[in-house]
Amino acid sequence: MPQLSDTMTEGTLVKWLKKEGDRINSGDMIAEIETDKAVMEMEVFDSGVVAALMIAEGDKAGVGSVLAVIATGSENPADVKKKVSAAKSQPAAAVTPASRQEVAATRKPAATATSIAPNFARASAGEIREPDNVGHGATRQQAVAVPPLPHEGNGGSRLRVSPLARRMAEQQNIDLHAVSGSGPGGRIVRQDVLNIKPASRSTTAAAPAPVGNGQTQVIPLTKMRSAIAKSLQASKQNIPHFYETIDVDVEDVVKLRVKLNEILEPEKIRVSIGDFVSKAVASALLRHPAINATFNGTEVTRYGDVNLGIAVAVPDGLIVPVLRNIHLMGLKEIRQRSADLVDRARAQRLKQDEMTGGTFTVSNLGTFGIREFSAIINPPQVAILAVAAAEKRAVIRGDQIVARTMLSLTLSADHRIVDGATAADFLKTLKTLLEQPALMFI
Amino acid sequence: MPVIQFREALRAAMTEEMERDENVFLMGEEVAQYNGAYKVSEGMLEKFGPRRVFDTPISEAGFSGLGVGAACCGLRPIIEFMSWSFTLVCLDQIVNNAANVRYMSGGQFKVPVVFRGGNGIAHQLGATHSHRMESVFARVPGLVVVAPSTPYDAKGLLKTSIRCDDPVIFLESEKMLAEKGEVPSEEYTLPIGVANVERQGADVTVVSYGRPLQRVVRPAVEHLHADHGIDVELIDLRTLRPLDVETIAKSVAKTNRCVIVDEDWGYCGMGSGILYKIQKRCFDDLDAPIEYVHSDEIPVPFSHNLEEAMLPSVDRIVSSVKEACYR
Repeated sequence: MPQLSDTMTEGTLVKWLKKEGDRINSGDMIAEIETDKAVMEMEVFDSGVVAALMIAEGDKAGVGSVLAVIATGSENPADVKKKVSAAKSQPAAAVTPASRQEVAATRKPAATATSIAPNFARASAGEIREPDNVGHGATRQQAVAVPPLPHEGNGGSRLRVSPLARRMAEQQNIDLHAVSGSGPGGRIVRQDVLNIKPASRSTTAAAPAPVGNGQTQVIPLTKMRSAIAKSLQASKQNIPHFYETIDVDVEDVVKLRVKLNEILEPEKIRVSIGDFVSKAVASALLRHPAINATFNGTEVTRYGDVNLGIAVAVPDGLIVPVLRNIHLMGLKEIRQRSADLVDRARAQRLKQDEMTGGTFTVSNLGTFGIREFSAIINPPQVAILAVAAAEKRAVIRGDQIVARTMLSLTLSADHRIVDGATAADFLKTLKTLLEQPALMFI
Repeated sequence: MPVIQFREALRAAMTEEMERDENVFLMGEEVAQYNGAYKVSEGMLEKFGPRRVFDTPISEAGFSGLGVGAACCGLRPIIEFMSWSFTLVCLDQIVNNAANVRYMSGGQFKVPVVFRGGNGIAHQLGATHSHRMESVFARVPGLVVVAPSTPYDAKGLLKTSIRCDDPVIFLESEKMLAEKGEVPSEEYTLPIGVANVERQGADVTVVSYGRPLQRVVRPAVEHLHADHGIDVELIDLRTLRPLDVETIAKSVAKTNRCVIVDEDWGYCGMGSGILYKIQKRCFDDLDAPIEYVHSDEIPVPFSHNLEEAMLPSVDRIVSSVKEACYR
């Protein structure tokens, strides 16, 4: 059982995609595994014949336990199975290593925070004083390859939808992953799209069913909900949070956004204020490595790349997909890649490495009109940025009251590692970049 | 407006065109002395004489070739086949010669010939006399394929077919010849390649042609409306080549669903070709897969009950339409 997320200790085998006797090749998907966050396909890294499936669909298994045994080379699958079955009640080591390939062993444990930039592990062992030691130039040579954008459509997530319903959803900007299909095999058809009420067309989860007068409703926690409860409680209990809020005049960003969206109109791409904030955060983090860091209790690790976590609301929960190497991306790519991540997060179709390895997180409630809020740090990161709504406010310029589009940003930081002045410095840079977006090109 | 039989409408079309153009003549098995195997040409020998209405030997390959040659030389033959099943022996004349002479001669020759007769399953004619030949001809560039479903359309389309400078495959049915309909006494023609939206509807587009329209499609449409509340837009194709994809596409853009009905076998049948064109053109408008109601893929049985059972029925159309509507 591979560890498919940071917090995963056991997983449920939802479905075997291969059966005993099937030939498999490296790269094939052998099973669907449910973790506390998502259902994911499990890849095999060896070729051979499936000799034995060791657990049944629906069963749980601890991380590292054997799920299946593959006969490789000239091994006879039947012999291998016999041997494995005999040893089943004994520890896995009873099976001779030569006669089997543990599927679990073929998948490396989930990337930890340090593994995303292994070459920096040693350099980061101590406090790095000079920002240049994790400078941008060093990063470029060893940046993790950014995976290509997935194809248009949803072949990967196997969404069934009629051509008309797909077109209607595109036109109305409806996320079909949130729609359940009433057609054969769950196909989403026109009526299903028409049934979506305007309220639930937004990016949020559907409204909960009302509880009648005098009635109560007991809801057992889903795996995801209990994982969220556990990790947020741990974060707030263990990390001494402090908060700093800064107001940013985003008038220039708003103008620039209008201009860019006109240019991007033929491509049907619309960048958001949030994308500008992501872009500015990436630039600011490169200048303030103390914020772009993780802390494991004894050591701080700083990063030369920015892997930005984006908090995404999903039905009854929250997922933080990670936009890797965002500091290398332009606004258009940021928009496309975050839209893709958000879509797949809602469909529970994120890959394991898309949910780990973040160096900083933003949480954006701008679309809800929230004026200001503070977020809980996503460990082992040392800070998180809460992005509120851009809104017209009366502000003083000179001695005049003028209307300006303002945006409040609140940084929550871990006071064990980050001091008030460090956080304030970072926020000041962020403010400068957003108020004079041209600076991002320097 | 006078109400006349389908066969009378065909006769009126041929008579009017022969009066209009002396190059038009009629030949076929028993069209003259016997007044037509199905009495379509009744009285025409008497009216036009044996030079323009004459009987042929039982040799479809021979007289269809005679017609192609006559057309190349400037005449306008109407060739009646007792059954389109018999044309399997004259595919060389129709598919090779009639369809290609104009192209291969660089336009030096045209082939203004009309081949007409009963197509498809009539009644207990058995496996070899019940062929539905439309898909064989509708796939051939160079041919025009017409399949009317009412006396009115039959007359208007046959007149246009006779005036057409390309070879026309004109598909009738023995079972339709006695059907009656209103046909104006004044002259009119109908264009080739234009389908008829004979019933406006909002929920689903049903596409058909020829005999099944009157036999099962129209009753099914009424039944769907009255008993299932499904409002069908019904399209009678009238011409199978060139196919009026525009009219279908306009309708499917409105209804988002489509059901095709014909009496051909399904695999490589006429409807399969139509289905390909619709899905290609209308993919983004479709909310459901296109349904195709066709005959069972078996040799046509002689037994009356089995013959009925293999053909599309009202029930099969109703259930396919409901499926397309997710009902």
